[in-house]
Amino acid sequence: MRRLSLSSRLALLFAACTAVVSLFAGVLFSRASEAHFIELDQQLLDSKLLGLRRALHDLQSSDSQVKLADELSRQADLSLRITGSDGRRWYDSSPQLPDKLPQTPGLSKLNDDGTDYRVLNAPLFADKPDSPQLTLLLDITHHQHFLQRMQHLIWLTVGLSALATALLGAWAARSGLRPLRRISAVASGVSAQSLNARLPEENMPPELAEMAHNFNAMLGRLDDSFQRLSAFSADIAHELRTPLSNLLTHTQVTLTRPRPIEDYREALHSNLEELQWMAQLVNDMLYLAKADHGLLMPKCEPLQLAEEADLLLEFFAPLAEDAQVKLSRDGNARIEGDRSMLRRALSNLLDNALRFTPVEGYVSVSILDQPKGVSVSVQNSGKGISAELLPRLFDRFYRADPARQEGSSEHAGLGLAITQSIIRAHGGQIRCESAEEWTRFVIELPKKD
Amino acid sequence: MKLLIVEDQPKTGHYLRQGLAEAGFNTELVADGNTGQQLALSGEYALLILDVMLPGRDGWQILQAVRNAGLDTPVLFLTARDAVEDRVHGLELGADDYLVKPFAFSELLARVRSLLRRGSASPQETSLQLADLRLDLIRRRVERNGQRIDLTAKEFALLEMLLRRQGEVLPKSLIASQVWDMNFDSDTNVIEVAIRRLRLKIDDEFPNKLIHTVRGMGYVLEERPA
Repeated sequence: MRRLSLSSRLALLFAACTAVVSLFAGVLFSRASEAHFIELDQQLLDSKLLGLRRALHDLQSSDSQVKLADELSRQADLSLRITGSDGRRWYDSSPQLPDKLPQTPGLSKLNDDGTDYRVLNAPLFADKPDSPQLTLLLDITHHQHFLQRMQHLIWLTVGLSALATALLGAWAARSGLRPLRRISAVASGVSAQSLNARLPEENMPPELAEMAHNFNAMLGRLDDSFQRLSAFSADIAHELRTPLSNLLTHTQVTLTRPRPIEDYREALHSNLEELQWMAQLVNDMLYLAKADHGLLMPKCEPLQLAEEADLLLEFFAPLAEDAQVKLSRDGNARIEGDRSMLRRALSNLLDNALRFTPVEGYVSVSILDQPKGVSVSVQNSGKGISAELLPRLFDRFYRADPARQEGSSEHAGLGLAITQSIIRAHGGQIRCESAEEWTRFVIELPKKD
Repeated sequence: MKLLIVEDQPKTGHYLRQGLAEAGFNTELVADGNTGQQLALSGEYALLILDVMLPGRDGWQILQAVRNAGLDTPVLFLTARDAVEDRVHGLELGADDYLVKPFAFSELLARVRSLLRRGSASPQETSLQLADLRLDLIRRRVERNGQRIDLTAKEFALLEMLLRRQGEVLPKSLIASQVWDMNFDSDTNVIEVAIRRLRLKIDDEFPNKLIHTVRGMGYVLEERPA
């Protein structure tokens, strides 16, 4: 079954509420008018009773009928019956009425042949136990007609007002829900090409403002990710273009005419180098893609950072000795992390540092064990990096030295991005600081309890 | 010694077989999982090289069937997906090693040799030798042509690895992993430098060179005719 629309639902609820309220008011009003009529009848009958008692105070026999007739003639809708204490009927102004009348003292109601009567039973002499009984009957048909008309009117009002509020409610709901339709219109217009559409947050009603804000924030995040993804794809294409075109050209040129076997060998070797570079690039990009999808799940091994750093320094020792760079490490900290990932992260930093350290320079690793977390910094001497380039260092395919042209070096410019991904997967942060004489990468890792 | 390759991509399968055959292995290639499993269960093979995605029956299922049959044939997985679950899954099922595509053939060859060697426990050697190069494992001394050579601990470990696997082309990544325990992709040229420094001590003063570079693939220690 299809769910009702929000506007129809609201309209129906409005109508139901109005119907209930007007029905309640109508019932109350009709009860009140009925009570009012009963009160009027009571007053009338009481005053008649008083008159009759006065007129009949000396009634002993049926000789005062004249007096009674006279008394009754002034009130056409009133009938009277007098019954003696012995049960005999002394007087009856309307013999056509049924013999059996309600005997309960006080007011009661009687319906005879479509005519309604109010009946009052009272003793003629209030103080005498064997007094004859007076029964007064008042024709109240016109009251009942009025009440019936009123009830019809009430039902009509209930029906009409419910209908009217349903229609008005539908209109009100539609216009009240207009901001929602605006959101829907914006949402339906969002596509990869138009992620920059935003909802106007200022003229949203407060109930929707937060939603609109979240919606805009979501669009913002999507836009940002999409931009980065597009840029990344463009970068990949660009990075792969150079080795691919080298491969194509070299292979085609080699094949244009017969050559000595050495030339083929040389061509294959050259191709192999390009291919290895591309394979490395693809593997690195897959690694980053995994990190982007939150699939980089570091293991939690207890690690002594000093031990790890020393092993890495030992690994890089031949390179450093060759470049006449001094390697050092101080401090230690215990941490839970993924050994192989953290080694990779640190090795990228060390490799990077060694690349940019001049002869006779130094690369130092300092580990600081702080109560909040652990910081590991890798500092190298050499010309600093200008401040405006610092934030871009972790961008994919960014190379600090533009002279290092793409494709030719084994270094694709993904090392620092990978390091950053690894540190983030460990819940940490990495930043770069630089001065005139040195550059320092600082890793901050949280401590897990 | 026979190797079984189960790989459904014809080109990959063909080159794997050719490469392994030229490296001196007797190989059989099948392209679908069901035949692969039948052959694997015969127990005739010294090593299984399985692709994960296969028609009929995937690599995991073959591995499971082999292990359920009580065979401990070493299994090397080739996978195009480097998902963590794949890795965990494979190791749980009892895979011995795996390579993520794209991989270098030299890397595959080195891993195949490692796996085949694992089964046969080598006798306790006290020294390794090639031509006039001698490495004394007990006294941790290296001599060439009777001349004592001083090596650092890592240089010794590197030379020991080259000597143990003489004649094999060892890719840089394998050297980094075996000698320095660095098991990650790295584009650093540390290994080149380390090899160069080792050469300086081992080869430079002698006419017949023992450490050779196989361009684009790695390094090999062998005696080549001058």
